[in-house]
Parts: sequence; C-alpha cells; structure tokens
Amino acid sequence: MTRFALALALGMAMAGSAQAACYADYKAKQDNPLRLHYGVAEVSACSAGGAQSELAGRLAAAGWTLLQVVGVFGPEGLQERQDRAGPYFLRF
Amino acid sequence: MRRSGERLVMAGLAGIVALVVAAAVLLFLNLPDAGRFDAEVTRIFIENDDLTDQGSIKLLEILAQSGTAFSETLASYRVVIFVLMVFAFALLIVALVFVVLLVGMSRRLQRIERAGIEVNSLLIAREENTVYLNDLGFKLTDAAMETMSVLAEARMDDDVLTGAQIEGVISGRSAEECEEAAGATRIKRLRDALGNQMISALLVKNIARRGYVLAVDKERVKVA
Repeated sequence: MTRFALALALGMAMAGSAQAACYADYKAKQDNPLRLHYGVAEVSACSAGGAQSELAGRLAAAGWTLLQVVGVFGPEGLQERQDRAGPYFLRF
Repeated sequence: MRRSGERLVMAGLAGIVALVVAAAVLLFLNLPDAGRFDAEVTRIFIENDDLTDQGSIKLLEILAQSGTAFSETLASYRVVIFVLMVFAFALLIVALVFVVLLVGMSRRLQRIERAGIEVNSLLIAREENTVYLNDLGFKLTDAAMETMSVLAEARMDDDVLTGAQIEGVISGRSAEECEEAAGATRIKRLRDALGNQMISALLVKNIARRGYVLAVDKERVKVA
C-alpha cells in the first residue's frame, strides 16, 4: 500500500513536471535559396527572451536562422499548433 | 591660347570619363539584388502570423525564388545598359573632339584668309628652274634660283644670312671679302621675280587672248 502510494506520488510529481514544461512557436529561415519554416519546440525557460536565445543556438546548429519567437505556451497549446508546424513540430 | 584650349579639352575629356565612372557606380549600386527580394519576403513572413501554415510558407518561398529569377534578369539588363552607356559616352567624346577640331580648323582658316597667302609647301625644282609655292609654280632665272636655294638651305638649318654671307656662298668666296650690297641686290632681284609672278598669279590674272582681270570676287571689291 505504501509502495503504491509512493509510486502514485512519484507519478504525480512527474506529471507535475510535465505540466510545467514550456513550448515556444517560432519562425526561422535559411538563405540561398530562401527557405522558411514555422515550428514548435520545447524550451527550458518559460519566457520569450529565454526561448529566443535558446532556440537561436539550437537552430543555428542545424543551419537555420531564428527570425522571431511568436509566443511561449504550455502543453495545452500543442494540439492546435501541430498541424501548422507540420514537420517542424517538436523537431528542434 | 592654344595651350589653355588643350588643357580645357583635357579637362572636358576627364570630366566625361568621371561621369562614365560615376554613372557606372550608380548603376551597379542602385539595382536591387536577390537579397532584397528575400528580405522582403522574410519581412512579410515575420509580420503576418497567419501565414504560418505549410501552404502559405511554400508560396512565400516560391515568391522569393521568382524574385531571385527576376534579379538575375535585372543583372543581365544592367550589363546591357552599361554597354549602351559606354557607347553613348564614347560617341560623346568623339563628338567633343570633333567640335574642338572644327573650332580650331575654322580659326586657322580665318587666319589664312586674313594673311592672304600661307606657304604650306615650298619645292625647289632645280632642273626646271622653278619654285613651287603650294600649287603655284614660279619660273626664276639661274641667279635668282641660286639665291632661293641658299635661302632654303639656310632656313632648313635655322640660319639667318646677311647679304654678305649670301653673296659669299653663291660666289664661293669667304663672307668677309663680299659686299653686303651684292647680296642685297640678289635678294631684290629674287623678290622682283617672285613678287611679279606671285601678284600676277594671285591678283592680276592674264586670260589668254582676252585680257586682264582681277582675281577677286566682285562682292569683295569696295571702292570708298
């Protein structure tokens, strides 16, 4: 019984941490030829400024230039953006 | 006058060349490049949040590509425009040079008209005992021919001869032994012979079997 309660507590805690996860949607580009994409990515900092610097580094590593962070949101906003982000949904 | 005119022409040519260079620089700087179109498309992408679905993004990329293609066309136009411009400026330079030449020529013509006769060529034909001034031939006596030859040789050496020196060269003695008056007489005879014929050729023409007439346009004759 105690074990079950512990497991439940652990599970709750994990769910809580998942609840606290932040996501950002952004716009990025590549030059010559010009390519654009709109994507959604998980970020550790829950602010637009933090997401900006974090995503810029991550995208630059893949050869993309971050243009703009549109917004930061929780897991509840993932569903509506999945379609629009397409292949760039949680890719970077 | 002539020196400053040449400087003016040089300055004009340099100015035209400077104009060509300036126009070329402006031409190559002001035409938009491919990056301009891309930047514009990127700006549209950033400013519109509802252009984020896959289809819209694809369309924006196509827009940028067509802009790039257009800018390549513009680059070829730029070359064509530049070539035409170079041609135009070359023609401008040639036209300027011709205008300058024409002005110089007309000035020279005016001088010639005022001077009456300008000797462009002097040919001494010893066998015929004739001196050709431009296209006019003047027959001279042997003595006058000698004087003429001596003067011509001295002129070619940039020498000026006194009467005694002339007499000395012709008679074969040294100049100290000769009299100034003897040379002066030779010059006078040469002048008489030449002047007589020159005037008859230039001014008082003899028309065979008809008589004499002044070789001057009748509009130019005025009696005050």
